[in-house]
Amino acid sequence: MPAIKPRPRSLAYAGLAYIVAAIFLLPYVEMVVSALRPANEMLDRTYVPTHWNWHNFVDIWTTDFGQSLRISLEVASGSTLLVLLAAIPAAYYTARYRFLGRTTFLLLVLVTQMFQPTAMLVGIYREFLSFGLIDSVIALILVNAGFNLAFAVWILNAYISAIPVELEEAASIDGASRVGTLFRIVLPLALPGIVTALIFTFINAWNEFIVALTLTTSPATEPLTVMLNSYIGQYQVDWSHLFAGSVIATFPVIILFALIEGKVVSGLTAGSIK
Amino acid sequence: MHTVRFRSLLLGTLTSCFLALSGAVAAQADTVLTLVAADYGTGPADSSLKYWQTIADAFHAANPAITVKVQTVNWNDFDTKIQTMVQNRQYPDITEGDYFSNYAQEGLLFKAREVLSDPGNPMPVFTQLGSYDGAQYGIPFTTSSRALFYNKKLFAEAGIAGAPKTWDELMTDAGKIRALGHIGYGLPLGPEEAQAETLLWLLGNGGGYQAADGAWAINSAQNVETLQFMTKLVQTGDTEPNPGTKNRADLLAQFAHGQVGMLNGLTALLPIIKQAGVLTDNDWGTATIAGKAGPLEKTLGVCDFVAAFKGDGSKREAIKQFLDFAYQDKYQVAFAERYNLLPGTTSGAAAFAKVDPALVPFLSALPKAVQYPNAPAWAQIKTQIQQNIGTAIGPDPKSVLDAIQQAALKAN
Amino acid sequence: MIAVVVLWPVVIMVRTAFQKISPDGFILGQAGWRNFVFLWQEPALPGILVRTSIWVLTVVVITMLIALAMAQLFNQEFPGRRVARWALIAPWAASVVMTAIVFRWSLNADNGIINVALHDLGLMPVYGTDAADWLGRPVVAFAWMMLVAIFVSVPFSTYALLAGLQAIPTETYEAARIDGAGAWRIYIAITLPLLRPAFIVALLINVMNVFNSFPIIWEMTRGGPGHQTSTTTTFMYQLKQSYIGESAAMSVVNFALVLLIVLVYLRATSVQGRAA
Repeated sequence: MPAIKPRPRSLAYAGLAYIVAAIFLLPYVEMVVSALRPANEMLDRTYVPTHWNWHNFVDIWTTDFGQSLRISLEVASGSTLLVLLAAIPAAYYTARYRFLGRTTFLLLVLVTQMFQPTAMLVGIYREFLSFGLIDSVIALILVNAGFNLAFAVWILNAYISAIPVELEEAASIDGASRVGTLFRIVLPLALPGIVTALIFTFINAWNEFIVALTLTTSPATEPLTVMLNSYIGQYQVDWSHLFAGSVIATFPVIILFALIEGKVVSGLTAGSIK
Repeated sequence: MHTVRFRSLLLGTLTSCFLALSGAVAAQADTVLTLVAADYGTGPADSSLKYWQTIADAFHAANPAITVKVQTVNWNDFDTKIQTMVQNRQYPDITEGDYFSNYAQEGLLFKAREVLSDPGNPMPVFTQLGSYDGAQYGIPFTTSSRALFYNKKLFAEAGIAGAPKTWDELMTDAGKIRALGHIGYGLPLGPEEAQAETLLWLLGNGGGYQAADGAWAINSAQNVETLQFMTKLVQTGDTEPNPGTKNRADLLAQFAHGQVGMLNGLTALLPIIKQAGVLTDNDWGTATIAGKAGPLEKTLGVCDFVAAFKGDGSKREAIKQFLDFAYQDKYQVAFAERYNLLPGTTSGAAAFAKVDPALVPFLSALPKAVQYPNAPAWAQIKTQIQQNIGTAIGPDPKSVLDAIQQAALKAN
Repeated sequence: MIAVVVLWPVVIMVRTAFQKISPDGFILGQAGWRNFVFLWQEPALPGILVRTSIWVLTVVVITMLIALAMAQLFNQEFPGRRVARWALIAPWAASVVMTAIVFRWSLNADNGIINVALHDLGLMPVYGTDAADWLGRPVVAFAWMMLVAIFVSVPFSTYALLAGLQAIPTETYEAARIDGAGAWRIYIAITLPLLRPAFIVALLINVMNVFNSFPIIWEMTRGGPGHQTSTTTTFMYQLKQSYIGESAAMSVVNFALVLLIVLVYLRATSVQGRAA
């Protein structure tokens, strides 16, 4: 009997999950459909246009779109790497060692997260001016890393705290070094947390707009968000290109996610085999 | 693998830093002017960057010792951007877009006659707006004027002979178009540009934001009466619902798609109509904006300015050379044509009238155009009007106008 | 790095709150508490504070409830699970600005797809009326915006919880099952307590994100008409356009409020943690 039971149940789960997933995709489907509307059908009371205007998705590549896409990729991956390199040791340290003001540190981490960059534009601009980094990709990487570091440390701290210390103690009795245990025991177990932090940082950096707008001065350093913003004009909005560009812009994130999601699953399987 | 990727990334960025640095050193040899302009285009394809770059390149070819670095900023972010630069003392040399009298007040700007050989050519009607303490700083660059756009096709369908001249006619006509299932009159009182639409209505009843002596008169009796009429218009359903939440861009698009009977528009609506491809040239027309008893004698004229920042004062001659070059009629006409605006100079307007006769009515309205108040507090009051005037459509317009008037007095 | 990139601007902001500043950002002198007094006298402030509380509470609570259920669902084995998970990430991957814009687009009184659907279902007889104008009426607009806020918060929360669920060893469940515990009982007694760290992270992040959420309201109504759909965060931005000092005062108050929430929260969880 247990062999038969899971099947219809898993199908029911599947059905439900597909419906939920579809609901979460709906607005983006509407985005694609609107991007494909020819100009004279833009405001029609219809679900889909009578003519499909495919060239919006093609001619957007003749502009600076490709370049901005590359910059966004650089900024998002650069700041994600920076964040992970800084956050993993920091989270490990705060999770494993009681040091004076540990709670204060965590609180500080949270405090930094409460501020919108909007409130601090002038300060940020002034800062990077003094570093001579206005209009550079490096500046965008640093700002995004700075703003997301707090989150990453906080998330990782929670996951690393949940790993039993005994596991590490066992490893160190077996003669493994601190760094060795970090890499071989803690990191694999904290992998879901690391992936969450990674995706979180990547997406935040990918979609950051207001700082990029302030710190960039030429198309050569404009990430996608700033570039797409130019489709919202003073008198009119170029809906088809705005939507087409936005749809394309979400794909790198979903691809990254698809790649990593597989890694998590295999990492977990490896963990359970052990 | 991660470390390898990171290393190469770091290496790459460091190299690009060095490249940027060495580039900056090489350029130091001749004068570099930074020009920051508002972007009038929609999307990179018709960005103003191209317009200015063409001029900058032609200028550099004629004057190899001067290089003009062009930067454009989306209109919606232009003010913030310039502000950030000025607050950080990173003065651009030339700006084109909104003009801020406070920068003149702070002594940051060159006077118009210091950086332009013929300061009389920019349209005299707008020089007052660019002035501070009797001296002119802002140089009119591009202008626009407002008119009533109406959908002739819908008007014919509703059996209306021509554009309305009075408020009562406007209300009757709007009602007839409403009966056809379209928006009768498009009333954009959302935060985007409400100060323009509001002023056009106030003018129709002999009102405005200021009294003749320049004192704020936002809550005058005429203005209250005007808002009461607008409320009546909204409540009978002759406009779109909840105009306080509707922005101009959306209504302009709807007009271009034939869904709005009439609205106050500007020349920038022309390309929108063309791109939408729904209305032909015979389907729409323009007329003078209706007032309470008859059409407006003066319409609203809006002007964007060029301003030159002093910096350390050493670049005055270079700026002058460039501005003389950029203000040539051919460039004035090219700009007006490209963005469907009007030239900012008298000679440019004359040249433009020959190129595009269809816009002559808009051009001839310019010399007697009404303008926004020329007061340092206007920027603040404008945002107050934009945010709050929509709530004046309702049972108590007076209290809303009172509140804005109070804010205006507080700002002064 | 945090200190340089984040904390210094905070100092500037606090200083600004006590300065007299011209609309274009020139410092005209010290203002003492004047900016705070002006802020306190804003007639719109009480409504904004009430709305902010409703906004944060409703959005966070509903988001967390939906996320708990969805994490459970997407943790099950079923064919095509990976693809379904990818789809779920869309609202998180897309910029919030664009999601807000596409919702505004779909809610257009004359031709928005939501109205087209309602019209075809017979629920919306006439286009372009007050009833079709979802974002024109403050209360309804605010409800829609909360829905969008939930919509964009759920994916992240679900993944945070999902990661937590996957970290729970299967042996624990098997042991409970052998003891004869039912599914609901296992969920309450085992899953939820073990999910606690992940839940806390997701909850806290949501509280702060939702509190600070700016693009949704800004893109959909700009806090209008007047300030009738504003929260403290958008109000701060509205003020910034004309009264920079007062706006900085608003952000200091904003900051104090979040700090308060976090402190209360930390206190509560640590007490609870010690008791457990």
